[in-house]
Formats: sequence, C-alpha cells, structure tokens
Amino acid sequence: MMTREISESANLNSQELEAMYAISRVVAKSTELDNSLNDIINLARPVFIFDNIVMYLLEGSNSLEPSYARAIGRGRSSEADLAWGEATANEVLRTEEIIVRKEVKGDYTKDRMRLRYFLGLPLTVVGRLMGALVFVRYGGPTFTPDHTQLAEFITTHVAQLLEHQQLVKRLSNLEAERRLERLQDDFVATVSHELRTPLGFIKGYATTLLREDINWDKETRNEFLAIIDEEADRLRELIDNLLDSSRLQSGTLRMEFQPIRLDTMVRDMALRARSFHENLTIELNIETTGIQVNADPTRMAQVFDNLLNNATKYAPGSQVCISLRGVDDTAHMEVRDNGPGISPDHLNNIFNRFYRVPNEIKSVRGSGLGLFICRRIIQSHNGEIWAESEVGKGTTFHITLPCEYVDSNPVDNPISKEDGK
Amino acid sequence: MTTNILVVDDEPKYVRLMEANLLPEGYQVLKEYDGQGAVEVVAEKRPDLVLLDVMMPGLDGFQACERIREFSNVPIIMVTAKGEEHDRVKGLDKGADDYIVKPFSATELLARVRAVLRRAQVSGGSFQQAVFNHGNLKIDFARAEVFREDKMVFLSATEYRLLLQFAHSPGRILSSEDLLVNVWGPEYREDKEILWVSISRLRQKLEDDPRNPKHIVTRSGMGYTMPPLEE
Repeated sequence: MMTREISESANLNSQELEAMYAISRVVAKSTELDNSLNDIINLARPVFIFDNIVMYLLEGSNSLEPSYARAIGRGRSSEADLAWGEATANEVLRTEEIIVRKEVKGDYTKDRMRLRYFLGLPLTVVGRLMGALVFVRYGGPTFTPDHTQLAEFITTHVAQLLEHQQLVKRLSNLEAERRLERLQDDFVATVSHELRTPLGFIKGYATTLLREDINWDKETRNEFLAIIDEEADRLRELIDNLLDSSRLQSGTLRMEFQPIRLDTMVRDMALRARSFHENLTIELNIETTGIQVNADPTRMAQVFDNLLNNATKYAPGSQVCISLRGVDDTAHMEVRDNGPGISPDHLNNIFNRFYRVPNEIKSVRGSGLGLFICRRIIQSHNGEIWAESEVGKGTTFHITLPCEYVDSNPVDNPISKEDGK
Repeated sequence: MTTNILVVDDEPKYVRLMEANLLPEGYQVLKEYDGQGAVEVVAEKRPDLVLLDVMMPGLDGFQACERIREFSNVPIIMVTAKGEEHDRVKGLDKGADDYIVKPFSATELLARVRAVLRRAQVSGGSFQQAVFNHGNLKIDFARAEVFREDKMVFLSATEYRLLLQFAHSPGRILSSEDLLVNVWGPEYREDKEILWVSISRLRQKLEDDPRNPKHIVTRSGMGYTMPPLEE
C-alpha cells in the first residue's frame, strides 16, 4: 500500500519501484537486523543518493545512542570527523517530525564536505517513537519532497525490521522467564540452595571454633555458638516447612478439625505475637464476636504466626492491625501493615511455592514457603486468602472462612444475629 | 607491613565469620555490605585482597568485580553460594582470581587467602590511579563519572566503555578493530562506522574543539590514541 501511494504521488520510475519492492522483500525475509539494513542500503543507494546513514535508537527516556551507521559516499576516509547528524536526530526526537537541515562549515566552494544536508526521520514502531534515521549528503543536492518520500518508505521498512527484532527479543525474554519458573519448580535445586545457607553458617562457625591455633575467649565462643544454635533452629524450621508444604501439596497433611472461636483465637495470637516481638504494636479490631469456625487450631495458629512474622520481617517498625468481622456466613479477617508494600509484579506470585520478592535484603531470610503453606491451609478449610498492597503504603492480607455464630451477637449484621440465636 | 583484606557480603554474619578468622592471622579487615561500597573502598583504601560475595542486592558481586577491574588489579576471591560451573566460569571471566563455595570451612578460607596473596606477590600486583586525569578531563573510575573542567559529563554506557579503552592505555594507538571488539563485541569487528559515530560523539562531549581533538586523536590508517600531554 505504501508502495502504491508513493508511486502515485511521486511518480516513481521503474528502477525506483523495483528497488522499493526489493526492499519490501528484504524486510519480509529478514532474520538479522544488521545484515538486512546493509541489504536495504545497497538496494536504496542506486535510486536515493546519500553519503552517510545513521540509525539512532532511544536509550532510556531521552537519550539517543547510535546503533547502526554506514558511510558509503564521499569522505569515508574522514572517519570520525564525518558528519553524523546527531543534532538532526535530536530534533527529530523532540518534534517527532521529519527534519531537513543544511549546515555550512566554512568555504564549501573548495571543499564539498563543508556543505552538509541532513534528512532526519522518526522511527516509529506501533505508534511509539523508537529513534531516528538520519541521511547525510555532502555538497548536495538538497533533499526534495520526492527524496523525502523515498526516505520515508525506507524508514517505514527499517521500523518494521526493528519491530520484528523486538518481538524476537521479547519472545526470548519470555522463554528465559519460563525457564526461571521451571527452575523454581525444580524442588531439589531450590531446596538444596535453601538448606545450604544455614548449613554454611553452621559449618563456617563450627570450623572456626575448631581451629586449634586459636583459643577463643568465652564471649566470642558464646557468640559463635549462639549463631550455630540460631542457624540450626532455622534449619529445623526449614525442614518442618518443607515437610508441611509437600504434605499439603500431596494432600497427606492430617488436619484435626474442631469448632473454634475465631475472635478468641485472634486475641490469643495477638498476645503471643506481642510476647515474641517486643517492639511490635498490634491494633486489634474485632467488629463481630461469637464467630465460630470449624478448623484445625494448630494450623490456623500457623497461618497467623506466619502473617505476623512476615509483618515484623518485611515491615519492621510498622504497626500491625488485625481485624475480624462476620458478614453472613463468612468470617473476614485482615492483617494490615504500613510497611514498604509489594509491587504489583510480585503480588500475584507471593503465594507460589519458593517465590521470594527479588532484591530484598538478604538478612531478612525466608524460604518462600510460608505463604504457600498459608494458602494451602486456608484452602483446606474451604476459605480463601489473598493480598492487597500499595508500594510505600503497606500490605493487607485478607482471609475468609465459612463460619457460624455462637452466644454473642455479630455487631453489624442483623440477619446473622437472628441466625445466631 | 600489614595486609588489608576487604570483606564484602550483605549478610553481616558472613562478614563477621571471615573477620573472626582473618584477624588472628594478622590481617587488617575492612568491611562492606554492598557492591557499590566495595568498589569505592577499593579505590580509596587500596586493599591487598577482596573477598567478594556474589549474590547482593544492587550491584552484585560479578558487576562489582567488573567495575573494580576497570582500575585495579587487586586479587579478588569470589564467595558464592552456587558451585555450578557456569557461575565459577562467570566469576573468573569477570576478573576474579579464585572462588570459594559456601559452605566452606575456616581452614579452606584461610588457605585460599594465603594462596591468592602469594600469587599476587609473585606477579606484583599493579594499581592504577582511582582517578585519571588527562588535561581538563577527569575520570573517577570508582564512581564511573567523567568530568570536563570539573563539570560532570553525561556519557552513555557504551561511550564510557570506549573512553576507558583510551584511559587504560594512554599513548598507545588502538586499532578500530580492537576498540570494536572490546567495546561492542567480536560480532562488531567490521562495523567501523559505529565506532566513528561514537568517537565523534565522545569528542563533542569531551573536547573543547571537537574538530581539533586533544583527548582522542585519529592516527590515520592506524587507529586512535590518547596522546601524552605536553607539560
């Protein structure tokens, strides 16, 4: 279509038409960007005169980086002293329009190289500006509208090549991501890495204490032994989590269901968490009392332990707000912190086995199993768990469970109140 | 003379572990908890050896190693939790002298430290200036910053790598081919024009008169050079 438009308005001769068709064919068959660009230039050159061509691509939001350049005409020997049309490219970037410029550097009657004509065209892929293509002519002739149209045709095709190349790149990135996901699924690889970390400390500090050439003083010895002890605990916790998660995965974890009062349990959990974490401030907000669920108390406690632990680890210093309310036959719990939050890219994945938000400080350690276990436990109680988060504002974990009401009345739910009686 | 060892790990317990073992051997221990900090300490304090953890947030161990190699030959031992071949190869390719895989014993750590220090003594480690001056041009390797007349110049990553080629061997003539291979990669060996454009851009940014360059000069038919400056 482009070709027809040009042939009508620009009265292309047969040689030009042939060149344009040949360029289209190159684009259609292209596998490699630089080679295809070379081909296009060779095909265009007989019908469209220029000395230099440079393709500038956007790097970051507003800086151009040359990614392809050819000097095919006069002055090739001048190498880096040639004109490369950077100012023209920058103007294209600013205006997103075709730019024609003339530049005179001294007396050009003696040296044609001193008179330069630049033609800059925006490289647009799917409506997005990717960079600029600049043609340079020494000593003229100036770029006429016909020339500009030919150049536009070439630019459109170069943009198509770029788009093609970007798609190929995106595809290979996606494949790499999928490989990474498979790796995370690779239970043995991940487990061995997770076990190695505490083991590294135990081995390191134990062999340090075993050094025969040094008599460690009591204080240092205790310091190292405390680390070994801590890391052994961590190893045990990790093994427990691994066992739980694979039992939950295979459905072989035994649950002891019994009626429990959720409001009482939440109060107990908050008390327990306060005793473990001295600096943790918990705000309890029980809107509905008398909520009863059929649950395994140990496993439910495990879920709350996990969420509160996460809050102290990933949102240190933040107040944690736990709320509970009953709406019809569903108990709704929230655990909210005002920490740094989780970005949307990661939020969907945090319940996946072994998923950890990348680039977290390493001293905050986790196995990537806690939330996976929480979700499986809640699911086996016919409930749901999910998270909402805003970066910089905090994270809220929501849990819903099927419930009934006993002795006291739900505060804000008249229907359930009657049911409860 | 005391031997200074820089220990870099974002996990304080590892830093403590290495410090505890190195101090009784008479080594002085410098401590850093991230990659960028490590590069800066190497530039400022010039340690005799660096123990560099690989997995760190921000600038990781591989990147820090690469940056340090831009200005220093200090021996580097990579400390890695992954013992796979490609990780070890990657570390060595980035300029590390040795690697040690977690978990390691205290004696293995010390043996590797001694071995690497011994080799460094034999080969006589050389240390370049952390700051390079050429006329009104100044490069701060540790921060990867370039100044012209004390004003910071913004260079793209490619332009900076190209400039380093010259700053690392002032006075030497570098062929287009070498520059292309070192900065862009072997597949660009023939791509002379891309080098010309980049040199032209560097001159626009660094030279007082780009048409009469003082920092990056063309040696016709041979390549480019950063000529020694007349006093």
